[in-house]
Amino acid sequence: MKQFATHGMMGLAVLAMLSSTLTPFYAQGVTYRVDPVHSSILFRVKHMNTAYVYGRFNQFSGMLVVDEKNPERSSVQFEIDLNSVDTGNSQRDDHLRNPDFFNTRQFPKATFKSTRVRKINDTTVEVQGNLTLRGVTKPLTIRVTFTGKGRNPRGQEIIGYETTFTIKRSEFGINYGLNGGLSDEVRVTISVEAIRQ
Amino acid sequence: MNFALNNLLITGLPALLAGVLWLVGGRLPRAHGWLSALAVGLGMGLVYWLMLGKPAFLPSDAQEWVFWLALGLIPLGWLAGIAPAYRWVAGWGLALVMPWVFVLLFSPLMQSEYWALSVGVAWILVFGVGLAALTLAAASAEERLAGWQTAFLVALIGGVSAGVLFYGAKSASFAQMAGSLGAIMGLGVPIGWVMRSFRVGRGAIAVAVMLYGVLWALGFAYASLQAPYLLAFALCVLALAIPATPFGSRLKPTMRFVLPLICILLVGGAAVGVSYQAYMAAATDYYY
Repeated sequence: MKQFATHGMMGLAVLAMLSSTLTPFYAQGVTYRVDPVHSSILFRVKHMNTAYVYGRFNQFSGMLVVDEKNPERSSVQFEIDLNSVDTGNSQRDDHLRNPDFFNTRQFPKATFKSTRVRKINDTTVEVQGNLTLRGVTKPLTIRVTFTGKGRNPRGQEIIGYETTFTIKRSEFGINYGLNGGLSDEVRVTISVEAIRQ
Repeated sequence: MNFALNNLLITGLPALLAGVLWLVGGRLPRAHGWLSALAVGLGMGLVYWLMLGKPAFLPSDAQEWVFWLALGLIPLGWLAGIAPAYRWVAGWGLALVMPWVFVLLFSPLMQSEYWALSVGVAWILVFGVGLAALTLAAASAEERLAGWQTAFLVALIGGVSAGVLFYGAKSASFAQMAGSLGAIMGLGVPIGWVMRSFRVGRGAIAVAVMLYGVLWALGFAYASLQAPYLLAFALCVLALAIPATPFGSRLKPTMRFVLPLICILLVGGAAVGVSYQAYMAAATDYYY
C-alpha cells in the first residue's frame, strides 16, 4: 500500500512537470478577465414608437481568451446579473426585473458563450455564440472591434473591445408590450476593458 | 395596430367568446355546468394568447403556465358545478390537484435558488390548500344570488386584482390579465339583466377564482407583491361565500348581495388604496 502511494505520488509529480513543460506549446491564447468598473453594457429600446430609452447593467463578469496570431482560437464568455438593470428610474427597473420582462427571480442571469471566432480585418472579428436570456438560448453573431491595448495604473496589461448588435426580445420570450408599447428590437452596446490574467 | 385598440381587443374579444358560450349554455341546461367553466377558461386562454402569444409546452417560464392552467383547470371548474350529492368529488379533486398546480408554478424558484426548498414547499402547501378551500367556498355564491349579482361580485374581484397587481406587484401583464378576466365575468352582468334566468355557473366562478389566485400567487412569488395583500384577496373571495352561510341565508335577498359587495369594496378598496399610495410615494413618475 505504501509502495503504491509512493509510486502514485511520483506519477503525479512527473505529470505536473510534463504539463508545466508542455503548457506554452498549447496555451497560445492570452486570458483576460473583464474589468466591470471600466466596461459598460448599454441597451436602448423604443417607447410607444416615439423615442429611445437607454439603460445599462451594472454587474457582470466575463473572460476573454485572445489569440492574436490565430483569432479563431479566441473565445468569449460573459455573464450578466439582470437584477443590476439600471434605467435611471427605480420603478421602471423593478418593472424590468419582474415577469413582464426579465423575470429575474427565475432567470437571474443572461449569458453569452462564443462558439466560433473569425477574423474580418486587423481590428475586427466576427464572434458567433449562444446568448441565453430568460431561459431561452439563441445563436447570435456579433462584430467585435478592437479599441486599444495598454497598461492600467496598476501596471496590468489591459485590452479593449466594443460591439453593437440588435436582438429581438420576442425571440427570448419577452413579449409584453410588443403591441406598440415597447419595440421588439433592442440595440445592445458592449464596451469591454479586460485585464490580463 | 393602435396601442389602445389592441388592448381593447385583448379584453373585449375573450369576453365576447365567453358571452357566446354562456348564452349557448343557457339554451342547453344539461351542458350549462361545463360550458360555464369552459367560457371562463377559454376566455382567459385567449386573453393570454392575444397578449403574449402562444406559450411553449412544457413551459420553461412560470408565467406561461397561466395559459395552460386556464385550459387545464376547466375540468376542475366543471367538477365544482356537478350535482350537490357529488360535491365531495370536487372537494377532493381540488385538494389533490391544487398543490400540484403550485408545484408547477413555484418549482422554478427553488431551481433558481431564489427560495430554499423548505420555503418553497411551505408556500406550495399554503397556496394549494388555501386556494382549494377558497374556490369551493366562492362557488357556493351562485346558489343564493341572482346571475348578474354573482357576475358583478366576481368581476369586482377582478378589478381589485388588477389594481393590486398593477400597483403592488408592479406587473402590468398580470394586472391586465386579471382585469381582462374581470371583464369576462363582467359580461355576465348585462346578460343577467336581459335574461333573468341567467346563471353564471359554479364552474365559471370556480375557474375565475382559481385563475385570480394563480395571478396573485405569481405576483407574490415572481414580482414584488407583499404577503399581506394575499390576505385581502382571501377575504374578498370569502365574501362571495357570505350568502351561502346560515347567517347569509337569513338575510333579505338585497342584503345577500349588498353585504359581500360592501366587504369587497372595503377590503379590496383598502388593498388597492394602500398599494397605490406605496407606488405613488416612490414618486419616480414612471407610468409604464
